[in-house]
Order: sequence, then C-alpha cells, then structure tokens
Amino acid sequence: MLSTKNLSKTYGDKTALNKLNLNVEAGEIFALLGQNGAGKTTTINCFMGFIKPTEGYANIHGLSVEENALETKKHLAYIPETVMLYPNLTGVENLQFFSSLAGFNYSNEELGDFLEKSGLQTSAHQQRVDGYSKGMRQKVGIAIALAKKAKALLLDEPTSGLDPKAANEFSVILKELSADGTAILMATHDIFRAKEVAHRIGIMKEGNLVSVIDTQGISGTELEKLYLQTV
Amino acid sequence: MRNIIAKKEYTTLLRDKRFKLMGGFISVLLLLALIGGFVAFQSLKKERMAAQVEARETWLNQGEKNPHSAAHFGSFAFRPKSELSFFDFGVDSYVGTSVYLEAHRQNDAKFSAAQDSSSLIRFGEMTVSFVLQLLVPLLIIFLCFNAIVKEKEDNTLKLMLSQGVSLKQIAWGKIWGYSKALAWIILPALFIAFGLMTLGTDGTFTVDTVLRFTLMTFIYCAYFFLFIAASVLVSAYAKTSRNSLLQLLGIWIVACIILPKATANVGASLFKAPSNYEFREAIKVDEENGIDGHDPSDVRFDELKKQTLAKYNVETVEELPVNFDAIRMQAGEQYSTTVYNKHFDKLEGIYKMQNSVSAYSAVINPFMGVRNLSMGLAGSDYKTALAFQKQAEQYRFQMVEMLNNNMRDNTKTGDWDTKAKESLYAELPDFKFDNPTISQVLTQNIVGVLALAFWITLLSILVNRTKNLRIA
Repeated sequence: MLSTKNLSKTYGDKTALNKLNLNVEAGEIFALLGQNGAGKTTTINCFMGFIKPTEGYANIHGLSVEENALETKKHLAYIPETVMLYPNLTGVENLQFFSSLAGFNYSNEELGDFLEKSGLQTSAHQQRVDGYSKGMRQKVGIAIALAKKAKALLLDEPTSGLDPKAANEFSVILKELSADGTAILMATHDIFRAKEVAHRIGIMKEGNLVSVIDTQGISGTELEKLYLQTV
Repeated sequence: MRNIIAKKEYTTLLRDKRFKLMGGFISVLLLLALIGGFVAFQSLKKERMAAQVEARETWLNQGEKNPHSAAHFGSFAFRPKSELSFFDFGVDSYVGTSVYLEAHRQNDAKFSAAQDSSSLIRFGEMTVSFVLQLLVPLLIIFLCFNAIVKEKEDNTLKLMLSQGVSLKQIAWGKIWGYSKALAWIILPALFIAFGLMTLGTDGTFTVDTVLRFTLMTFIYCAYFFLFIAASVLVSAYAKTSRNSLLQLLGIWIVACIILPKATANVGASLFKAPSNYEFREAIKVDEENGIDGHDPSDVRFDELKKQTLAKYNVETVEELPVNFDAIRMQAGEQYSTTVYNKHFDKLEGIYKMQNSVSAYSAVINPFMGVRNLSMGLAGSDYKTALAFQKQAEQYRFQMVEMLNNNMRDNTKTGDWDTKAKESLYAELPDFKFDNPTISQVLTQNIVGVLALAFWITLLSILVNRTKNLRIA
C-alpha cells in the first residue's frame, strides 16, 4: 500500500534521507523510531508530496506521489504532530470543513460520532476550538483522519499531547483500523507504544533505515536496548 | 471545493474580531462620507441652481438698453453639480464654478469651492471615493495579509492539502470568501449611495446616471478584486505573516500615495503649461497681429469695410442700411473667439499631456485607472471643468452674436443710443451644461479600462498558477 524505492532527500550537502526502501502492506502498522532529524518526518512529507525527493520515489496504492499529487491523497489520511485548527470554528465545524474538502458530506450526527470515537467529550463538540487543549485538538485531528476512511494512514508523533488514557484509546483505534485493512505508517519517539501497536518497527539514524524489527518476538526492554545501541 | 473553502473563510472572518472592528469602522466612515458628501452636494447644487436662475432673471429684466450695453452688462454661467459628484468630488472643489459672460472678453471660471472653505480643505476631503480608493484597500490588506501564510505557519495548510485540495483551489476559495465578507461593507454603502442619488435627483435620474452608477460599481469591484487577489498571492509566497503585511503595505503606499503624486509632478514638469498671464498675453498678441502674424487688426478692419461696402454697393459707411459698428464688433468677436479657442485648445492639449503621464501609469498602477475613471464618471474631473469652460465660451459667443446682429439690423452706423426691446433678451436660450458623455469618459480613460482588464487577467493567471510553495 505504502512503498518507497531508493527514496532520498538532500539539502545541499546534508542528507535528510538516504535510499530508503520501505513497504507497508494493507492492514500493517509500521512504526518509525529514531532521534530528531533521523528522517522520519521527511519520509512522511515525501508520501504527502510536500517534499520533492532528490532521488527515488514514494508510491501509494501503486501510484507515484510526485506524478499523481491529488489522486494519491484520496487514499491517504494524515495526522500531524500538532493538530492546528481554525480557532473560531467549533470542533464539529472544523471536522466538517476538512472532511468536505475530501469530498465527504456527513450529517451532524455522523460528524459527532467520529469525534466521539476519537475520544472528544460530547460537551466540546459545539465549542469553538480556541478553548481546546492540545490533546483535544489532536482528537479532532484523529476524527478528521477517521472520517476520510482512507486506505493508508500517515501519523507524525500522533500521541504527543495525549494523556495516557487517550493515547491508549488511540492505540485501540489504530488496531481496529489495521484489522479493517488500513496500512499505517507512524513516526514516533514512544518505544513502548510502538511495540504495543506496530507489527514492525524500523529504526532510523541520520537518514538511513538501520534495522527493521518484528515486534512479535521481542520484549519492550529488548527493543529499548536495541534502540539505544543503534542510535 | 472552492465554495467549501470560501464558506469557511467567510464564516471565520465574520466571527473575527478584527473584521468586526475594522469593518465597522470603515462602514461608519463610508456612511459619514456618503452623508457628508451628499449634504455638501445638495447645498452646492441648490446654490448654483438658484444662482443660475437669478442670473437668468437679471438678464431677462435688465430693462431696455442698447444691445451692446446689454452685451457689456452680460450674464453668468454656473457649472451645475453632476448627479454623482457627491460620490467622488474629484477636482470639483478646486476648479472654478462660474464664468462671467461679457462682450470682448473670454473670462476664466472663477470661485472654486475650495476658496470658500477653511484651510482644512488642504488636508483633503472625506469623500466616498477616498474611503473606497484608499481605506478599503487598507482594510483588505489587514484582513487578507496572512490568508495563506498563516495556514502555512499553523500547519493547517498541510492538513488541507492532505485532504486532496490544490493550492489553486485554496487561493480562489480564499478570494471568494473574503469578497463575500467584504460585500457586507460595500453593498450597504452602494444601496445608500443609490438611494441618495435618487433623492438628489428627486427620483428623476436618467438611464445615463444609472449606467454611470453601474459602471462605477463594476470598476470598484474590479479594484477590490485586485487588492484581494494580490493579498492572497503575496500571502501565499511570503515566508512569514509579518513579511506579507510589510510587502502589501509597501504596495499600498507606492500605488495609492507615492505614484499618483509622483506621476502628477512628472507630468507637470515635462509639459509646462503657460501661466495665466502668458496665456492672456499670447491671445492679445495674436488678436493684434493676426493668428498667423501677417494679418494685423487694422488690415483686417480695412478689408472688412471694403467687403461690406461692396456687398451693399455704397461708398461710405454712413450710407449703409445697417450698423457697421455692430458688424465690426461681431467680426472682432469672431476673430478673438477663434484666437481664444486656438490657445485654449493648445492649453487643453498641454493639460492632456500632463495628465497622460498619470493616465499611462495605470498600466503599472491600476489605482490611477480607477481614480480617473471614477472622477470621469462622476463628472468631477478636470476634463469636465475644461468642457464647462468651453461650453460657457460658446454660450457667451452666442449671446454676443445675437446682440450684435440685432444692433446691426436695427440701427445705422454711429447710433449707440437706440434701445432694443426687452423681449430681445429672451431670444437667448438658457445656459445648459452637458457633462462629457459616458462614451467620452470611457474613450478618454481607455488606458485605465485596458489596464484594469490587464491586471485582472494577470492576477487571475497568477492565482491559477499558485504552486510550488515551500510547505515542509
């Protein structure tokens, strides 16, 4: 579903991403671990088409992102690290705006359901977003992604700002989506969360994908050890 | 897609305190300018109409006198306020409002409204056109300067793009949304202006006035579109909101303040207009020596005498059945009018050249096109003032000719005493000033019209090509 071939990005003589080959199947959750500047966000930005790769390509559902900028976005939902919304629109209005941009015309009830599922308390649905906490905005971001019903999901530090309970609920949602066949690529710092939800974990260092680990046969502590050795 | 973005833009803008505050402020200013302009317009209009009626009364009731004395007694022509001049004062306040019409002399239009006002007029007048041409663009800039750059800074642009929208759609959506919000300020003002226009003409406005009003509306809409589109474009390519605001304010200052002043100064120094003294002197010289300099007045006089005597087949002027003095005066009048018109046309040509610098600057600065078109359609530009001077001169000539011809036909040479009947004065029709027509205004300002069309096309193309922004 999500794949890259020799994907590289350099800024001058600085290499942000070096010949990345990655393949995330439908229904798979792949977590990218690594320090800041390891190339996680660059990878996601390439999938979004926000960055033009210096070499190689990123494909979504078999389509090259570069050549099919608008088409590939139909198969894609995205949650940024910090979800910023329009402060003088309500939560529901924000969700409605973004999902109508993607071509969906949901009723208020359906919109409410998505927010509910993302864990946003019902009392906040009709409030303007300027009073929202970071976590609440993040939940609207999750609802926007859910409402898009995309085949692939890109997450850039999605649980930052979420309290442990909300983060846990989010993990449950991700597992549900994966069970429904959604391919999920997430960049994260949270080793234990990654171990818990992801099927595979890739550790990145200075633009290179150093190792890929199957989460099935490894414990959290072993993973942490491996991570610290790698970076 | 565009409509979804426009709707969101419109909703957020209407909820924005900035919009409420500044929009409210501009609305109040517009309303004040409309009412203030209309009150001034009404009083000036009534004053001039009354003055014209009075001048006519005086003319008709001047009593029996020798026709040539009547020509010296003369009359006045007042420049009526055009129906839309409350909307755009133009140069109306600074040009003369009345001409004294008398024999032998082509007087200038005198007594501008500015002469009558306090020195406050030096600071400019609060007119609707001032608010529309200078303040509304400023409002647009303050509302739209961060249209796209803010979405970039807040990362909402990423989220929007991830939903499968193109930048072009976002840009057009923003332009459309801002336009709708702006309509809340402009439309009420337009309705009030239309109402005032109806009131000002006692409901008797003509198709012409409605057409002028409609054209004016189109021109201002085009003007606002340019500012909205430019703001959205600049905000798309700017690195920060701050930069965007600074760039747009820079554009505003250059386009609306510096260039208009600079082009006017350049025009005046490139094409020197003669002073009033030089203008009058040149006419005097030409009258004495003949237009071509080979036909002095005494030669012309001898020629005229010879011709007249031959025509009536007599030896001396005393034998003529008509008054030769009247014939001589009329010939002189004819000659001086020709000379005057020649010099006036030359002067008008110089003014035209001076103004052409500003007019052509519309190509790089559409503000100039809008300003000139607005003044022209409102009937308050310098061309209207010149047209008045010309028509007043024609009327003066008509008046003097009628009196001279009466004297020629009813008296003999040397008779300066025979009085004409009072009914004679009514043979001169009322003075009626015709504003330059719409098609004349449009032809005179064709550069402005084309420049507006050019800029609309250019900005539309640029908006269509909004892409390759650095987003990540």
